[in-house]
Amino acid sequence: MEPLNNALNFPILTLATFLPLAGALFIWLFVRGEQAVRWTALAISVVTFLVTIPLATHFDTTTAHMQFEEFHRWIPAFNINYQLGVDGISMPFILLTSLLTVICVISAWECIEKRVKEYMIAFLVLETTLIGVFSALDAILFYFFWEAMLIPMYLIIGIWGGKNRVYATIKFFLYTLAGSVVMLVALLAMYFKAGHTFSIPDFMSYAFSFKWQFWIWIAFFIAFAVKVPMWPVHTWLPDAHTEAPTAGSVILAGVLLKMGAYGFLRFSLPICPDASQYFVPFMVVLSLVAIIYISLVAMMQEDMKRLIAYSSIAHMGFVTLGTFMFTQQAMEGAIVNMISHGFVAAALFLCVGVMYDRLHTRLIADYGGVANVMPVFAAVMLVFAMANVALPGASAFVGEIMVLVGTFNADPSYLTVSAKWVAIAAASSVVLSACYTLWMYKRVIMGDLVKESVKSMRDMSVREFGFFVPLILLVLWMGFYPQPVLDVMHASVVHLIDQVNTSKIDAAAALAQAATRTAEVAPSVAH
Amino acid sequence: MANISFPFPFPVISPLLPEIILAVLAMVILLWDLLIPKERKHLTALAALAACLVTALAVGKVATPGPEAAFYGFFVLDPFSALAKVLMLVAAAFAILLSIDHMKNEEHVGEYYSLILFAVLGMMLMAGATSFVTIYLGMELMALSIYVLVGYQRNVLRSSEAALKYFILGALSSGMLLYGITFLYGVTGSLQLIDMGKALATVDGEARSAVVLGLVFILAGLAFKVSLAPFHMWTPDAYEGAPTPVTAFMSVAPKVAGFVVMIRVVVDALPALNADTTAILSLLAVVSMAVGNIAAIAQRNIKRMLAYSTVGHVGFILLGVIAGSNGGYAGVLTYMAIYLFMTMGAFALIMLMRREGISGELIEDYAGLAKVRPGYGLAMGLLLFSLAGIPFLGGFWAKYAVFAAAIEAGHITLAILGVLFSAVGAFYYIRVVKYIYFDEARVEFNLNDNKLLQATVVLSTVAVVALGIFPEPLMDLCRAAAVAIG
Repeated sequence: MEPLNNALNFPILTLATFLPLAGALFIWLFVRGEQAVRWTALAISVVTFLVTIPLATHFDTTTAHMQFEEFHRWIPAFNINYQLGVDGISMPFILLTSLLTVICVISAWECIEKRVKEYMIAFLVLETTLIGVFSALDAILFYFFWEAMLIPMYLIIGIWGGKNRVYATIKFFLYTLAGSVVMLVALLAMYFKAGHTFSIPDFMSYAFSFKWQFWIWIAFFIAFAVKVPMWPVHTWLPDAHTEAPTAGSVILAGVLLKMGAYGFLRFSLPICPDASQYFVPFMVVLSLVAIIYISLVAMMQEDMKRLIAYSSIAHMGFVTLGTFMFTQQAMEGAIVNMISHGFVAAALFLCVGVMYDRLHTRLIADYGGVANVMPVFAAVMLVFAMANVALPGASAFVGEIMVLVGTFNADPSYLTVSAKWVAIAAASSVVLSACYTLWMYKRVIMGDLVKESVKSMRDMSVREFGFFVPLILLVLWMGFYPQPVLDVMHASVVHLIDQVNTSKIDAAAALAQAATRTAEVAPSVAH
Repeated sequence: MANISFPFPFPVISPLLPEIILAVLAMVILLWDLLIPKERKHLTALAALAACLVTALAVGKVATPGPEAAFYGFFVLDPFSALAKVLMLVAAAFAILLSIDHMKNEEHVGEYYSLILFAVLGMMLMAGATSFVTIYLGMELMALSIYVLVGYQRNVLRSSEAALKYFILGALSSGMLLYGITFLYGVTGSLQLIDMGKALATVDGEARSAVVLGLVFILAGLAFKVSLAPFHMWTPDAYEGAPTPVTAFMSVAPKVAGFVVMIRVVVDALPALNADTTAILSLLAVVSMAVGNIAAIAQRNIKRMLAYSTVGHVGFILLGVIAGSNGGYAGVLTYMAIYLFMTMGAFALIMLMRREGISGELIEDYAGLAKVRPGYGLAMGLLLFSLAGIPFLGGFWAKYAVFAAAIEAGHITLAILGVLFSAVGAFYYIRVVKYIYFDEARVEFNLNDNKLLQATVVLSTVAVVALGIFPEPLMDLCRAAAVAIG
């Protein structure tokens, strides 16, 4: 086995993954009193965030190789290992997760009043599973975190959610569970096919025949498409988003949705390059439906959280489109879009949360003229509304323009129409997202102050303003100077595009031929 | 063990030592109980626990790495049956622990504990049986003991009703089994599994049809014992009516015995009919997974829900048998071992919910549990998520083991159906979690604080979590045991 590539010579990924879990156990066993729980949870999440920073500062941007690797044998009987590592694609998501968790903890400070302790424990456990998903390099370890994530999320939506929370959370649980169990079958089949290994890098280098790739791809697609979510399996998301508590929506939009797209990048593309090429038209159609149709659906929403949920699905359409164009620009744009959406959608949910805490309604019609009583808030929300529209200067602009340009220049062999038409169709999103976002902004924030209830709203507190500041800075920083982020992912994306453009079919045929030859030789040896 | 030579042909009995010890101890306890005053009946329970422990130690002591035959090949001791016996004894020990509080006001406590021991004795005979005669004897000893246990609360109507239903259907299934055996005996002229297997290898023509007919009856009889659908009809009624500790016992131990017999019959006696058995078992597995997981959704009584859940679980376990590999048989044992802890923990919690005027058996009774008793809520939540097969809990590895074996053997369709039905099954488990965590308490919680039951819950929950994170030792144990088969 190759030596582990770990610049720090320290199991930093393990620390980042399990620190929140250890903190949750500590809170469960030793911390009494709501205020103490809040401060301890904040301290743990901040320390976790600090622990993940060296991942960025010590990251070697020149290589596509996995970094900060760790390897321990776990279940030798099935060759399942505790194998961790990150590359330029997964590392940013770990930082995104640890940062958003801090913001989630702060945002829950006052609005979560019941069962504070359980809430914080659930969030810290959730953080462990999310960081685990992005750092696992063993397929079963990945699946382990991927599924374990359902438990805290189920409880977060179900206990602290809105009126219809039970329906929403059960729907969320069953949709995602049903999607991912099929992936388990695929992983097991791959294990036996690829010579008793669950290592993701081994899967990437094993030459699966087209028939295998086809079925593996479909199994992965079911799991990841539900998570992204892609039309038509998106219907759990508006319910889950709407009913989840603010912080739950933040982590859902910010990180959970990225798991699906990350899955495409980590599994589908490198393991099934030929099938991925084959399914390009299919993915393009689904992505365009998400971008155009779901944007139209978003426009008609009366509930702000539902509107942002649909907007998330539309933005994830951009991500899947960029992912399946196999050009460097489009793929980097897709990843930037994912990170950017992590900030913007999170911030928009926080904005709705700020208003909800005051009036306890999410309906657009119940507001109007908020700017008159909450000027600071109106300004903050304007920043994120513009970011959601992908106005130049905001992070989303970088992502979307890269996807559009990358698509325009793409030439996927399986696509029957020119990719230019796809790019043009996708560009309609620029108008559509402006329509639904700005229209909502107009109806909620602008206008005359007529409603009595709105008059009583007070502007944001320092705490509330506090959690928007880092998000504003990040959105603007990525909008004006995305180079550091692009540098991080560059080598990995180039490598991934190389992988997806290298057909495995010939190698698989050679492998099958070699296998039949040994099978022919074997009996004569045996006798 | 030293071979003692007798002047006359005396059968080898040393592999049966644990069974002999258990039989003697069970009878001693039955008599000894007469001397114990009514208020100190827990001593009988402790004696029964000790009997389980001694027998388990004896199993460990006589266990040999290879198979060792006894009674002219009517019985065999091998690592596979040894591990299965340990599982049955652990299940019995759990059941006894659960019974102490439950039975303290009942009559005839001594017989109750002895019956549990006799049931285990029957199962242990089944586990080692290599002839249809021994299988049938063991099975009847087990079944008759359990019929009585189910109806133990004579003055409770539903307990008697359950026992009667179970008895009638059980007798019918025993009859089917016997009927099937006669076909095979008629064709092969032997009751020894191995000899039967050898003779069947050359059978064809009309005799073969008779064999297939016999096979169907035998598998139906066995399917009844492990509650595979469509032979599961008795399960919900018996589970609901039986005293809860008996329900816990019968949801694990007889299943272990039934699967060991099924594996032995399929491997030793029916290798020539592999295609037919696989087809029949696949059908049973799919029907069980479907019926168990879908019917459980409609249940309001948690014991009935767990009964249907058992039907679903045995459907999953059957995939390990269908796989027909050592990995599959190891998976069956792994599944059973993990299932044992999940089930015992869940039933212990159900018993903790029993209180003044409330049976604690309706799912609605669990509303708000997490708020009033966070510890109970957490334990039940973890056990239910584990039953649903969510990772970091033992139940995931149980499913993993059998699905992996099924996929290795090429039964991809069965595996896909299996995972989909396990996703369906997750619904009714998380629905109980919903009551526990999301709903407000509707009635006063004035719960039972029995320390023994609480300890059982803690033990099972810790085991389920520990096995979820480090399943390796158990998996190794089961794989090593399964090497003895086939």
